[in-house]
Amino acid sequence: MTLVAGVDIGSTTAKCVLLEGDRIVGKSLAPVGVELVKDAERALAQALAEAGRERHEVAVVTGTGYGRFKVAFGRFTVTEIGCHAKGAHFLFPGTRVVLDIGGQDTKAIKVDPRGEVVDFAMNDKCAAGTGRFLDVCAGALGFDVSEIGALAEGARHPVKVTNTCTVFAESEVASYVARGKEPPDILAGLYGGIVGRSLSLLQRVGVEPEVTFTGGVSRNGGMVRTLERRLALPVNVSPLSQYVGAIGAALHGRERTEGISA
Amino acid sequence: MGASTEEPSFLVSARDRQREMIEAYYADLATAGGAKRPVAYMLVGGNLTEIVRSFGYEVVFPEIVALNCAIKHVSLPNILQAEAQGYGLDVCGYVKNDLGLQQLGGQTPFGRIPPPDLLVCSFSGCYVYVKWWEALAEKFGCPLFLLDVPYLRDERPPTEDLGYIVAQLNEFIAFLEKASDRRFDPASLRRTLAHSRAAEEGWVRYLASGARRPSPIEAYFEAVFHMFPINVLRGTEEAARFYATLNAEVDERVRSGAYPVPEEKVRLVVEGVPPYPNYRTFWDFFRKWGAVSVAATYPKVGGLFDRGFLHDPARPLESIAEYALGAYVNQSWPLRRKLIEEYVREFAADAVLIHGIKSCRSFTAGQGDLRDRLIHDLGIPTLYIESDHEDPRYFAPAQIKNRMDAFFESLDRRRGGAAEPLRGAP
Repeated sequence: MTLVAGVDIGSTTAKCVLLEGDRIVGKSLAPVGVELVKDAERALAQALAEAGRERHEVAVVTGTGYGRFKVAFGRFTVTEIGCHAKGAHFLFPGTRVVLDIGGQDTKAIKVDPRGEVVDFAMNDKCAAGTGRFLDVCAGALGFDVSEIGALAEGARHPVKVTNTCTVFAESEVASYVARGKEPPDILAGLYGGIVGRSLSLLQRVGVEPEVTFTGGVSRNGGMVRTLERRLALPVNVSPLSQYVGAIGAALHGRERTEGISA
Repeated sequence: MGASTEEPSFLVSARDRQREMIEAYYADLATAGGAKRPVAYMLVGGNLTEIVRSFGYEVVFPEIVALNCAIKHVSLPNILQAEAQGYGLDVCGYVKNDLGLQQLGGQTPFGRIPPPDLLVCSFSGCYVYVKWWEALAEKFGCPLFLLDVPYLRDERPPTEDLGYIVAQLNEFIAFLEKASDRRFDPASLRRTLAHSRAAEEGWVRYLASGARRPSPIEAYFEAVFHMFPINVLRGTEEAARFYATLNAEVDERVRSGAYPVPEEKVRLVVEGVPPYPNYRTFWDFFRKWGAVSVAATYPKVGGLFDRGFLHDPARPLESIAEYALGAYVNQSWPLRRKLIEEYVREFAADAVLIHGIKSCRSFTAGQGDLRDRLIHDLGIPTLYIESDHEDPRYFAPAQIKNRMDAFFESLDRRRGGAAEPLRGAP
């Protein structure tokens, strides 16, 4: 069976997935630095190490994400929009809408029953409502972003975070702390603000079940629950949700290779 | 990301001829001004250039000066100067370029722009523009005439609206007689309008060639470039001759197979003002995917000649009134949407691309609804992207390219294509 690789170079992390048939046999995830070519090489090497496989066994590598053109050893490039659509459809075949919140952008993608992009909408240039926004605000509360998922569950009087600017939102969080507001209430306000911005993107492409939530922010349980409440719909989240772009890239590469060889 | 230096090879003689015309226009303008060769400032939308020129005025279009500054990458210092004077970030880039340029002395890389002796606010659909002309009138102490043109709400201009504009044109002529100390010459105006008509017919023929498959013209990037004679030099024999040259070149392109892209893969209708500071970079994002604009709305902001709003020497003021009402920029949103839908059908387009501009809400507002209508009601693939027509700070190349790549990629895949191969990869 053909072994294919997808390498997703995002704004904050590099991900790689090795796919053999429909089985994920290796994966890696690491922060990106300034040398994206090396980050891409390292992502593939780590995934191969996890799988116990060799580079020569990989039939095709496909790059995606903002740094996709830095996957210098790759054969194809596909935008992360196309890859998230394909990857989400692979994990949840009933997916019709994908919400991807990554480090610096948010995408709402409408997909057809084959996992092809029908329409998409993305956030504007600023990072409001993205993973970076959450990082900054968690920092202002004295937490690491990995610690805040469940904290908002204890919220009794959620605050309203009105700023759409990441920098100003940090100041707003600091002012709530100074006024004695509890972290769960502040976090609930933050989740509500981010989900509100995401909903406007989702509404532009049209919301219909099933909705699949991908990207680093989907690892935050508080965000998932807030999104489900606002949508009044269950939301698909995979333990592999950070790898969805890389999975999609691998699938695109496989389709393309099979198309060429056919 | 740097701007591309590659020249589209299908542009040949007409492009060079137009460059000469632009250079001659600005060289001539640099020595104008004062009683002998007074200067009138005017706006492009529904402009009254034939009437104004018949009174001996040289005409400056500050919007066109501004876009020329942006294409030459010199708009930002003017914009920053205007912001230092107190104009906010969200004020129109054209306005800030002009007011900043005036404050800095009017010198541009393409010549000195003389101050106005007369201000003609020929497009009243944008309130910011009215205030712009008022600011200039205050700065230069020169007379200001405001032509109030109602938005076009029906495809056929209402009789009462036409009568309202014709009455204002008669007032305008009396105003010009007083300001210039010259008598109105109806025969001269009719001659000028005949030249305008000839240029307009040539322009319409050029634009119609986008319906061919493959299209021999780029109906957005190339047509925007070739708007200069129809907007600035309209009413001269030179403009009419130019479009005859351009059409002969297009005929030759069809004969020789010289097209905007080697293989036409996507036919687009484009709506919106271009990002002039990044014009070539933006065009490259299309060409890379074999995407060609076959029709566009923006080249019709000055006049919707292809929908019959032509000047008529036999009905001088009436046809000027119809023209001013019918300019694309003056059309209501339902009419704009209808026109775009017609273009998609008539030019057999695959998709629509909308470029919104941050500093012009009057033209951009409604583009989000347009996108929704095209996608959700008509099933026409549509991409909305946003930057600015004048301010380079709003152009984010990586993000714009990413959206365009995703859009063209999804169009390609829906037709059974595949992702773009990486250049140089094994």
